[in-house]
Amino acid sequence: MNFFPSSDEEELRIAAERYISANLSLQGARAGNIDARAGLAEMGFFGITLDEASGGLDLSHAAELLVFAEMGRALAPIGAIASAVAAPLAAKASNAALAGEIAAGRPVALALAAGDRIRLLDPVGADLALLVEDDNAQLFALPALDAINDSLDVTTRQAVVDRAAVSTLASEQGGRARNHLQILASAYALGSAAAARDLGASYALTRVQFGRPIGSFQGIKHPCADMQVRCSVALAQTCYAACAVDGGHPDQDFLVAAARKLAGNAALENGRTLIQVHGGMGMTDECDAHLFLKRAHLLQFLLPSSRATLLADFRAAA
Amino acid sequence: MDISFTVVEQQFRKQVRGWLRANVPGERPLEPVDAHGFDKAWQRKLFDAGWAGMNWPKEYGGRGLSLVEQIIWYEEYAAAGAPAVGSSFVGLNHGGPTLILRGSEEQKRYHLPKILRGEVTWCQGFSEPDAGSDLAGIRTQGRIEGDEMIVNGSKIWTSFADVADWQELVLRTDPGSTRHKGLSWVICDMRSPGITIRPIRLMSGEHDFCEVFYDDVRIPLSNVVGAVNDGWSVAMSTLSFERGTANIYEQVKLQLRVEHLVKFAKSTRALDGKLLIEDSVVAEQLATHRAEVAALRAMTYRSVSEFAQKGQPGNEASVIRLFATELFKQIMATEMELRGASTLDFSYGDKGLVHEYFRSFAATIAAGASQIQRNIIGERMLGLPKSY
Repeated sequence: MNFFPSSDEEELRIAAERYISANLSLQGARAGNIDARAGLAEMGFFGITLDEASGGLDLSHAAELLVFAEMGRALAPIGAIASAVAAPLAAKASNAALAGEIAAGRPVALALAAGDRIRLLDPVGADLALLVEDDNAQLFALPALDAINDSLDVTTRQAVVDRAAVSTLASEQGGRARNHLQILASAYALGSAAAARDLGASYALTRVQFGRPIGSFQGIKHPCADMQVRCSVALAQTCYAACAVDGGHPDQDFLVAAARKLAGNAALENGRTLIQVHGGMGMTDECDAHLFLKRAHLLQFLLPSSRATLLADFRAAA
Repeated sequence: MDISFTVVEQQFRKQVRGWLRANVPGERPLEPVDAHGFDKAWQRKLFDAGWAGMNWPKEYGGRGLSLVEQIIWYEEYAAAGAPAVGSSFVGLNHGGPTLILRGSEEQKRYHLPKILRGEVTWCQGFSEPDAGSDLAGIRTQGRIEGDEMIVNGSKIWTSFADVADWQELVLRTDPGSTRHKGLSWVICDMRSPGITIRPIRLMSGEHDFCEVFYDDVRIPLSNVVGAVNDGWSVAMSTLSFERGTANIYEQVKLQLRVEHLVKFAKSTRALDGKLLIEDSVVAEQLATHRAEVAALRAMTYRSVSEFAQKGQPGNEASVIRLFATELFKQIMATEMELRGASTLDFSYGDKGLVHEYFRSFAATIAAGASQIQRNIIGERMLGLPKSY
């Protein structure tokens, strides 16, 4: 048992961190990350778990999680999650060509079921959409979209289509794609929670009131410490869940659901705390704090964990 | 990252499990004197079978297990229902390790084997009425005269003082000193003339915590561990011994408790006839607790693996402690809610849920209160300035 990133994994994470800090910015995120997608695809980030023959890197879910957590910190496009899950799905449905195109950057929107309609997140330029539900997943071809609107997440635009208007290109039964998407949603949540913690600590060091940095007051220090705890909890469980999927653990569904819940909660609570730590400035559009709160709210809708899964009997001994 | 265990590790687990299943004793007695005898007998049995001092170096009689082997030991130990360490705690996990790190050869040769064999019991004399979180405020003094010191003062919250043979005692030996300077860490013979022990009754009903009063108690200078007036650094060094593997025992117990609660909620009806688990608030609480106890184990695996890889500890110890202790209290609170009005029937002397619930408040107070842990996290991990 060796549950700390290996030097290979750490190298991959650092490479991702370097690329992201040079090419993604919160400014760009506010503008919808319009030009970010192509570069991320070139780095291979959309095909990390895709097999090599289809054009992927053939790495583990654990390795992919580390990269997506870095992307999550920078509020990278939601569509990246759709691409990363859609590519192996297409490959498993024996459409290696489509898998390769997606890994190479053909945009995929992330679909959320909405009765007889489908909500599409990050649909700009996309003619494909991925809909993952609890026990099945589908890759659709999209019609031309009528209108693309803002969402509560400043970084993410959205559209709506009728279910009848899309056609299925590839599908898969079972929970594999669900687990995959939940891990990546957790990774984005992790990243957002970590960025919120860092922004909060940094503000607490520089903002001076009553003659000293506000971080010296326990009323600010303790909420910042709580942000750190949430990050540590979410990171450990999400890494464990990814390893469980990689290793075929009999309770991987529970472990992934646990990570999804804790990571989502970390992003949301850290987003809320971040506003409070920033005081009046936290209420403004100009301050970056609200970006993390709003991203956390959007992430809540990406396959939240099922309570039934969290409460189901375990298969393996504790 | 790899959460699976190697073939060699799995074989070790089998070996541990086999021995524990065959040798775990019955329930620990409730009566303190009987419980003390039970603790010593169990420690002796562990020692005779070669299972004492899991994380002690071999040269001092321990098993010197690797960190992963320690994790396996504690997981199996908890799963087998083996007894909590009880009155052997301070000797095995605090006093003994301090001697290993800073004791003289003579002190080690005299004390360590007795601790491992369960022949002696240790207690801790650190906190005072005026020195809890602020340990550097201690006032008990040891006046040095010739080759001994004469001790006057008092200590509080000393578990097992009434059954202990030895006490790890931190006191002020430099009369003019303040704060961390001028302290010494000494081994105090609890049968010395001048020691008075007064049990304190806790709100949970038991009185295993004690006040200890020192009235001209004589301690030979050969009982000082480390150098005279260097006691603060000796006390701090103990913190570097524990790698967090022993936490696994409490974590597995907590996981078993949550599983028990889930089963209870799935099989017990509320007054309205619905199963407790059908109440969405109850279901949400239990689902969250399950996720959190799983995460707690993952955090310890990660922290132990980090140490194994880097050769030095990371900085997550305070995070793990804060999260684990707050979680423990929340789970106890959930259990109190689920058990309902039957909890009204508690009175002093009872054991079981209500007793454990009231006792659980100590988790976020002892060994570094939550407020202190948050200060440590904010300052050491996030670089925030000190508050005082």
